[in-house]
Amino acid sequence: MPIVNRIAEFADEMTEWRRDLHAHPELGFKEHRTSDAVAAKLAEWGIEVHRGIAGTGLVGVLKAGSGSATIGLRADMDALPILERGTGPRDHRSTNDGVMHACGHDGHTTMLLGAAKYLAETRNFDGTVHFIFQPAEEGLGGGDKMVQEGMFDRFRCDTVWGMHNIPGIPVGHFAVAPGPMMAARDNFIITINGRGSHGAMPHQGIDPVVVGAHLVMALQTITSRNIEAQDALVISVTQFHAGHAFNVVPDAIELRGTCRVFDPAIQASLPGRIQRIVDGVCATFGATGTLEYLKGYPATINDPAQAAVAAEVAEALAGVERVDRAPKPVMGAEDFAYMLNVRPGAYIWTGNGDTAGVHHPDYDFNDEALPHGASFWSKLVEDCLPRR
Amino acid sequence: MPVVNRIAEFAPEMTEWRRDLHAHPELGFQETRTSDVVAAKLAEWGIEVHRGLAGTGVVGVLISGSGGRAIGLRADMDALPILERTGKPYASTNDGVMHACGHDGHTTMLLGAAKYLAETRNFDGTVRFIFQPAEEGIGGAKRMVEEGLFARFPCDRVYGMHNMPGIPVGEFAVVEGPVMAAGDTFEIRVQGRGSHAAMPDQGIDPVIVGSNIVIALQTIPSRNIKAQDALVVSVTEFHAGETFNVIPDNVVLRGTCRTLDPAIHASLPDRFRRIVDGVCATYGATAEIDYRQVFPVTMNAAEPTRVAAEAAGAVAAKVVTDRRPLMGSEDFAFMLNQVPGCYVFAGNGEGASVHHPEYDFNDDLLAHGASYWSTLVERELKRG
Repeated sequence: MPIVNRIAEFADEMTEWRRDLHAHPELGFKEHRTSDAVAAKLAEWGIEVHRGIAGTGLVGVLKAGSGSATIGLRADMDALPILERGTGPRDHRSTNDGVMHACGHDGHTTMLLGAAKYLAETRNFDGTVHFIFQPAEEGLGGGDKMVQEGMFDRFRCDTVWGMHNIPGIPVGHFAVAPGPMMAARDNFIITINGRGSHGAMPHQGIDPVVVGAHLVMALQTITSRNIEAQDALVISVTQFHAGHAFNVVPDAIELRGTCRVFDPAIQASLPGRIQRIVDGVCATFGATGTLEYLKGYPATINDPAQAAVAAEVAEALAGVERVDRAPKPVMGAEDFAYMLNVRPGAYIWTGNGDTAGVHHPDYDFNDEALPHGASFWSKLVEDCLPRR
Repeated sequence: MPVVNRIAEFAPEMTEWRRDLHAHPELGFQETRTSDVVAAKLAEWGIEVHRGLAGTGVVGVLISGSGGRAIGLRADMDALPILERTGKPYASTNDGVMHACGHDGHTTMLLGAAKYLAETRNFDGTVRFIFQPAEEGIGGAKRMVEEGLFARFPCDRVYGMHNMPGIPVGEFAVVEGPVMAAGDTFEIRVQGRGSHAAMPDQGIDPVIVGSNIVIALQTIPSRNIKAQDALVVSVTEFHAGETFNVIPDNVVLRGTCRTLDPAIHASLPDRFRRIVDGVCATYGATAEIDYRQVFPVTMNAAEPTRVAAEAAGAVAAKVVTDRRPLMGSEDFAFMLNQVPGCYVFAGNGEGASVHHPEYDFNDDLLAHGASYWSTLVERELKRG
């Protein structure tokens, strides 16, 4: 039984919702139309709606029976600043040029709406479901803001759950690992102050380009020399900004980049380690450097007990052969981590089939995945909040 | 006899010319007013004027006696895209353009010599007064040569002069061999394969490749040429990426090479190619190199240097003959590549260095420079 029958019946309706959201993408914290659409649907189905959490965020509350158990299900609503390209006909193409649902949050929102509709109709559970629709997952920390604004104080959740589509995993398949799923993400800005000179007379200055090049290389040794081989760490210098004339060695340069890591202890060690490399390499050449280390999303780490629950629900729904209980974690970051940091729960992946990768201008959420995701949410609620 | 008496007499007039040019600076190949001023003065003194070479270039021809020898004296006319900060009453009236390298003085000194030589004609042969456009990096001299400067106006020798802040006025530096470096520019476009910053394994990181190239290029001076030879390789620009979380597809490096040795100069494009290709191969990237040999070495020939030193010695308090060459480049090298000659430095006294917004040519130098030119002509083209 891969899909709940009742959900299969309104799958076409979900596809309409999804394509409407896809055609009207909105950037983080600006999801006004999306937020209105979600609120209207929840209200239509008799779900209590609370708006204005982290701006455009909202929480729907649905109670059944008299049980005190609670659960939070979270979907993200924001789109990306990408110009949609898409191959083949795509009637639901973005009507907001330069903004695109290139990460499938349109699908995530729709799957959670589908579950809300089903659960409001059937109420085959005992307790309270919180449908959490968060703004600004893409780098702006909407999840963090909801937590900081007291969401879990206002809406008690014994557990909290998130779901993300993954291109490359077949539709109807799920993957969920105990422990790390997504990495912590920190960014850094390094400024190297040398001393400018004429390009022909470098001895009169201190060349910050040479210092920067050495720094790029030296930073790679954190991954290769300072952590245990089986631990995961990525340090990428993604920007190198230096100079604007052929014949002038600049005074200063700037490097920018990002660190991805699962282990909080390694993450905690990075500012110090990078600072020592910056200081050491700069000292070698007589330059000075400053490091601005910007702490970002924490790692998304599944509670092993909740990961097992999610895997069991998925297996019951899709079959054992369609659930991967040990997927390799991804080095991307996810702001659902802020919710998992304060509540036990799990983050699960659902297959999007053979599509372009997320954040690609050709990407599209796969509508066939909608009833699978909505069925998972519904089954999860019915398993976690069983009727007595 | 530090300065020719007749020239000393009209030194205040030269100062007026120089300050007029200073107030009206023009960028390379746009020296229309300057060119008009120069042509009018030469014509006024009875010198045959040829215009239009390399656009705004001017050649004045002055013949005296029946001698068959000809020498070329060259001055540059263009200014720089710099906002002047001298606060002088004759400061630039063309905002953002400035005579910050003293070409106003160079032009005036050569005009002074033309006026004196046209009056006195105390020589036997032909003097070519060459006023070139666009010395500052856009190849005015090269274009004059390509447009037939020396075919139309044959010269047995060609001479150039540049002012030098930091050397006292009245002192000259006249050095045999290389005096200014060959200057090249390069652009290296490293093509990797972009990826999400969290998943570098799915791409080829061109920032790493570019950084290795920056470091590897430094081994050309340190490992590939003789220790006593001069070579500078500077990567002055490194352009990579726009966002924290995306490893870019490609990076662009730009920079300059300077050397005093023509053989090393010739070897650089190939050495670059091998280093860039080797580093790219290491990481699986590819690269395009746009290597441009812009300026040759400015090389002073032995005999013209000896004559120039004598002429300078006749007018100068001091002549230095063992000054270190400069690693900057000079467009006059294109003329010296065609015709043997000598490029000398004349002290501009204390003050800001060239290309600085507070720089100003020192008017006290005008009479010394014009006297040097005149004496050089009288020695090169001695009356029988």
